[in-house]
Amino acid sequence: MKKKILIVEDEKMLAEMYKNKLENEGFGVLLAFDAAEALELAKKEKPDMILLDILLPGEKNGLFFLKNQKQISEIAQIPVIAFSNYDDPKTKKEALEMGAKDYLIKADYTPREIVEKIKIYLKY
Amino acid sequence: METLLLIFSPLSILLILLLGVVVLLKDPKNRVHLSFFGICLSLSTWLLTNFIVDTTNNLEVAFFFSKLAIMGPVFAAPISYYFSLIFPLPLRKFTRKEFFVIILGIMFFLILLPTRFNIEKVWTEEWGVSFRPGPLYYFLFFYLIIYFFFIFLNISKAFRTGNKKEKTQLQYLLMGFSFALLIGIATNLILPLLGYNKLVKIGPPLSVVFFVGFTSYTIVTKQLFGINVILTQIVVGIMAIILFIQTLLSEGPYWRILNLTALLFFLFFSWLLIRYTFLEIKRREEAEKLSQAKSEFLSIASHQLRTPLTVIKGYLSMLLEGGYGQVEGQIKRVLENVYLANERLIRLVNDFLKASRIETGKIDLNLEKTNLETLIENVVSELEIKAKEKNLYLIFEKPKEPIPEILADKEKIREVLVNLIDNGIRYTKSGGIRVGFEQEKKFIRIFVQDTGEGLEKKDLEKLFESFSRGSAGEKLFVEGAGLGLYIAKKIVELHKGKIWAESEGKGKGSTFYVELPLR
Repeated sequence: MKKKILIVEDEKMLAEMYKNKLENEGFGVLLAFDAAEALELAKKEKPDMILLDILLPGEKNGLFFLKNQKQISEIAQIPVIAFSNYDDPKTKKEALEMGAKDYLIKADYTPREIVEKIKIYLKY
Repeated sequence: METLLLIFSPLSILLILLLGVVVLLKDPKNRVHLSFFGICLSLSTWLLTNFIVDTTNNLEVAFFFSKLAIMGPVFAAPISYYFSLIFPLPLRKFTRKEFFVIILGIMFFLILLPTRFNIEKVWTEEWGVSFRPGPLYYFLFFYLIIYFFFIFLNISKAFRTGNKKEKTQLQYLLMGFSFALLIGIATNLILPLLGYNKLVKIGPPLSVVFFVGFTSYTIVTKQLFGINVILTQIVVGIMAIILFIQTLLSEGPYWRILNLTALLFFLFFSWLLIRYTFLEIKRREEAEKLSQAKSEFLSIASHQLRTPLTVIKGYLSMLLEGGYGQVEGQIKRVLENVYLANERLIRLVNDFLKASRIETGKIDLNLEKTNLETLIENVVSELEIKAKEKNLYLIFEKPKEPIPEILADKEKIREVLVNLIDNGIRYTKSGGIRVGFEQEKKFIRIFVQDTGEGLEKKDLEKLFESFSRGSAGEKLFVEGAGLGLYIAKKIVELHKGKIWAESEGKGKGSTFYVELPLR
């Protein structure tokens, strides 16, 4: 069965690019553009993994998503990779402490390298 | 003096308990706050039992409480040890073995508490109750010295690995401890040796108040003043109290007026000094806020710059991988060049961000046990392909004996090594690069030696400055912003290490050295 990845990304160009790549690699892809939408979609669809941008619109950013995800039992165990160009050590530390499996800087990875990381975390 | 003791002792007990409760209520589930409350409870119990012994007329009551007094320090010492393991940063987990040893120690004292091994007898003297201690009493000093030794070790370790704020917190802890010790020694050793015994009983409560005061302040205050600021205020406070007492005890109106005038002048100038100190603190707070704002701006700016670069990188890589159909010949070469140019831009943004963070002091080290041999092996295998593309050798000369692990930020040291070896590859036309170790007693030295263009003496001096490049680099290679070695130097210096380069001149290759302390 196809593995489902939820991409939480407010930049449409990036969202489209990663969706394209992941679908070509045989994954099902869901898109959310902010943290609130992501939480609702995660509850409804129960994805196998979440790629989470940190700087999201409004006050509810990626850290808000991580905090709330842990409080919802049906989605608390879904692995999350924080995936952002916001390279702030304090934010990175907070995200990892809140349960993110990794904190990747988007600009350091090609889409193919991201797919490889996802496969490692999904234990393909 | 008896009146002073009657007022000061209960006040100090109340103050210590109050400080303990205030700290506990700040964060009741926090182990630091909980253990500090435990210390306050133990010390106030010790002071209370001493106070009862000093003020009672009943010998049986005095005998009972003088035996009980030992339990205050017996509990305070292991709780303080645990506190030193977790404050201001957790050094390691508290082990089961330690727990059992501590329980054994406490049980030992509890069992012998009611016996004559503790206190042999009590009797009344002119000045109060005296007692003859048993061997347990002397064993207590040995017990406390052992604990102080390990507490001191923990504090030293925390000081070596802590950041700026944590180091300030430890300075406060040590300051409180030093004051407590000084007062204890002065009132219980030096003054009695000089024949002045009256302040002996005031020593313990006074020293404990200082210790607890400093420690509670350092736990609850989010922003600590520098230790020099607090010292200034303490000195001013002590001088004011001395002048005030002197005024009160003056003989005759003439001296009273003179001392009062001196006190008023002193208070006025002290107020000016303290006001200046607080203005200085406010200025520093604003500078810190500005620095924080700058750091956030840098992170946001680099995020905004990286976003379009990520899109370009992503689509170009997918095009080159054939994700949108086969790409060949000239089109492929063009796309590859655009991809490489984009990678340069991304590296530039990364380097600018790192250099700016270094300049504003916003780099923290994530220290962990690091196997340098494994780290270098990984870096060499990563860069081998790049060296082969230029027909250069890249050799790692493994050490004959295993290199001890050191405390280091793995990622940052890796970055330094990548920078040095990558530079070696870039600045070498033929031959290759050797990487190896030299181990000394107190540090490990890594060398990266190349057969490249070499460096002139004038280059060696400026090599690790920002936006600098040797004269060879100006000819061979103009990528990068000249920040790589500057960043490498800052990272190595943060590890309390050294980095330098040696070369016999143009065309004679160069060797870069990184020295890291063994810890």
